Amino acid sequence: MSTNTVPVHHKSGSHEALWGYVFIGPWILGMILFVGGPIIASLVLAFCKWDLLTPIQFVGFENFSHMFGDKKFWISLGNTFYYTLFAVPLGIVGSIMVALLMNQDWKSVRLLRTIYYLPSVTAGVASAIIWMWLFNPDFGLINYGLSMLGVKGPLWLADENWSKPALVVMSLWGVGGNMIIYLAGLQGVPRQLYEAAEIDGAGIWHKFRHVTIPMLTPVIFFNLIMSIVWSFQIFTQVYTMTGGQGGPADSTLVLVLYIYHYAFKYHHMGYACALAWALFFVIMLFTFLQFKIAGGWVHYEGELKK
Amino acid sequence: MEQKSSFWASKKKQDMAVSLVLYIIAWMGALIFVIPLVWMVSTSLKYPTDIFTTPPKWLPISDVSWKLDPDVRSQQAGYVKIARGANGTNIIYLMSGLKKSAKVLSTMTLSGAAQLNVQKGDYVAEGDIIARLPTSGVAKVNGNIIMIADKEGNVIDRIEAPMNSKVKVATGDRVTKDDKVAVIPPQWHNYVEAWSPKALSETFTTYLLNTIFITVCGLLGTLLSSAFVAYGFSRFKFPYRDQLFLIMVSTMMIPAQVTMIPTFILFKYIGWIDTFAPLIVPTFFGGGAFNIFLMRQFFMTIPYELDDAAKIDGCNYFQIFWLILMPLVKPALVTIAIFGFVYNWNDFMNPLIYLNSSSKYTLALGLQTFTTMYGSYYHLMMAASTIVLLPILIVFFFGQKYFIEGVATSGLKG
Repeated sequence: MSTNTVPVHHKSGSHEALWGYVFIGPWILGMILFVGGPIIASLVLAFCKWDLLTPIQFVGFENFSHMFGDKKFWISLGNTFYYTLFAVPLGIVGSIMVALLMNQDWKSVRLLRTIYYLPSVTAGVASAIIWMWLFNPDFGLINYGLSMLGVKGPLWLADENWSKPALVVMSLWGVGGNMIIYLAGLQGVPRQLYEAAEIDGAGIWHKFRHVTIPMLTPVIFFNLIMSIVWSFQIFTQVYTMTGGQGGPADSTLVLVLYIYHYAFKYHHMGYACALAWALFFVIMLFTFLQFKIAGGWVHYEGELKK
Repeated sequence: MEQKSSFWASKKKQDMAVSLVLYIIAWMGALIFVIPLVWMVSTSLKYPTDIFTTPPKWLPISDVSWKLDPDVRSQQAGYVKIARGANGTNIIYLMSGLKKSAKVLSTMTLSGAAQLNVQKGDYVAEGDIIARLPTSGVAKVNGNIIMIADKEGNVIDRIEAPMNSKVKVATGDRVTKDDKVAVIPPQWHNYVEAWSPKALSETFTTYLLNTIFITVCGLLGTLLSSAFVAYGFSRFKFPYRDQLFLIMVSTMMIPAQVTMIPTFILFKYIGWIDTFAPLIVPTFFGGGAFNIFLMRQFFMTIPYELDDAAKIDGCNYFQIFWLILMPLVKPALVTIAIFGFVYNWNDFMNPLIYLNSSSKYTLALGLQTFTTMYGSYYHLMMAASTIVLLPILIVFFFGQKYFIEGVATSGLKG
């Protein structure tokens, strides 16, 4: 049947459905080939031993039991936790603070927004190199700045106690990306709410505490979940700054780098998959916990209209 | 974006003061944010000797001045013996004693311009001043070499300025100690050096062309397939549509590392390792959940009446998609293109896994290899980083509006 003779109101449902599947077809194929299929394969591989050369061996839970006794795995997990624990909250507080600053009607606010947003777009190898130079113990700008304050700066990337804080500091340079999200959220706050609060005699702090923050919580919630997902996958900066090693003394060996080592350096595909599932499990656990405790602090606008 | 916020709309004086304080804080913060990029460009233009300085030099311009310690000191203890050398120089011998049998401990050749402070037979201890050089003279310039001589033409000192510096004195000028004799300008040739590094087998031309090729093909795949799929999700009713959409959005939560290894094995079996295919082909299968989501948001804003009208005019679904809707979602396509450009340009892990030979490297990989070879040559590292960042900065400045709209529409981060 040709489509153009069918009146608009009596569209044949199955016919339309068929076309719907045609159009989402590429994604379904991609889902099977590059997401669903690999997930199943990865799950199977996690219970196997395979170096891509000799035949695959089923080893049951051996990869996972090995993981529990693998000191480096725990170190890498700890490093990843450490990074997430500091980079995510600081990043969120920082980006909200910058968004509040950028939500003014100053003449130069557009230029300011650009300056704050720009670094987040440059994330990658190049920005890691810039920070290697900034963190240079003897001639880096950071330690020079500290010396002006009378503080002797640490060795940063060369000191196992300071390498992770260095990564956290570097991550804060990218708060502009989330700033844009919060800015959109702030501009979505109805003016009437502020006006009502003013009539009640609320000052700046009260308006912030009882209007702005509650209205932002859904955005914060979503952003928190995604930030944790991303921070658990930190890789490029560490690879660039440590030459792919995760040094000094494994202090920047993050989970994804560890997975990379096992998969593409040692070709222990099974163990690498098991590690990847451990990462996935941890991310899922965190996300689940977020949803569990969200009810207590995330405030949806619908609740206002009751 | 530019609506007036009423958050600060209080008429109190102290709120004005607060606003001013915040304004200052905002600019100070902006300064801190921009410093790393300024520092990158500044370092990339420096002469190597100007990189490791305390305090740091902000401008990649530095003066070459005539540094001279006029006091010539003896390196050893001994008895002085003086002889004439060529070109009016004096040769000072330090002897172990005054007798004929005394051995020469050391010799020093002094310019005729030096005023001797000792006489034959004097005993000098180590560190004693044996001569003084004049602290001013006449310049004689030959290219980047500046000779400074006294009235008789005896050479006091010789200054070799870096090859491409601008000499500030002319032959015949009188020069005094600590005078500026040349200026080292920004070293643009650092970029030439970084572009074709001697220690690497490839130049940045290769990396750039590879990156452009991958980015263009990847963007084509992303734009076409994400719009195509979003059209399906936004314009058709079919069983399980909403569940499928939810599944699609939730795939954003899956860390790439879970699917990465089997996908790598799949491409290995197809024989696509060390080709661009693994970086391009997947983009034609949906173009990523984020992009589909964004496109769907845009399609939802377009009234269905348009589709219906086109259908009455005899358009099929493909024609509606291509002729009616695609032109209308241009802003969304530009947004996705910009995000995709930045993503491809910065992507490191995928090229790292799939590309082995350096002739296939992307800019990110090339730059990482560059650091392994030039780790301590910060001027070259910063030049290379600037080369890699420049296109992103340009795209960012021209496409700012789309970046911000893209984030605002989706509430997600690109």
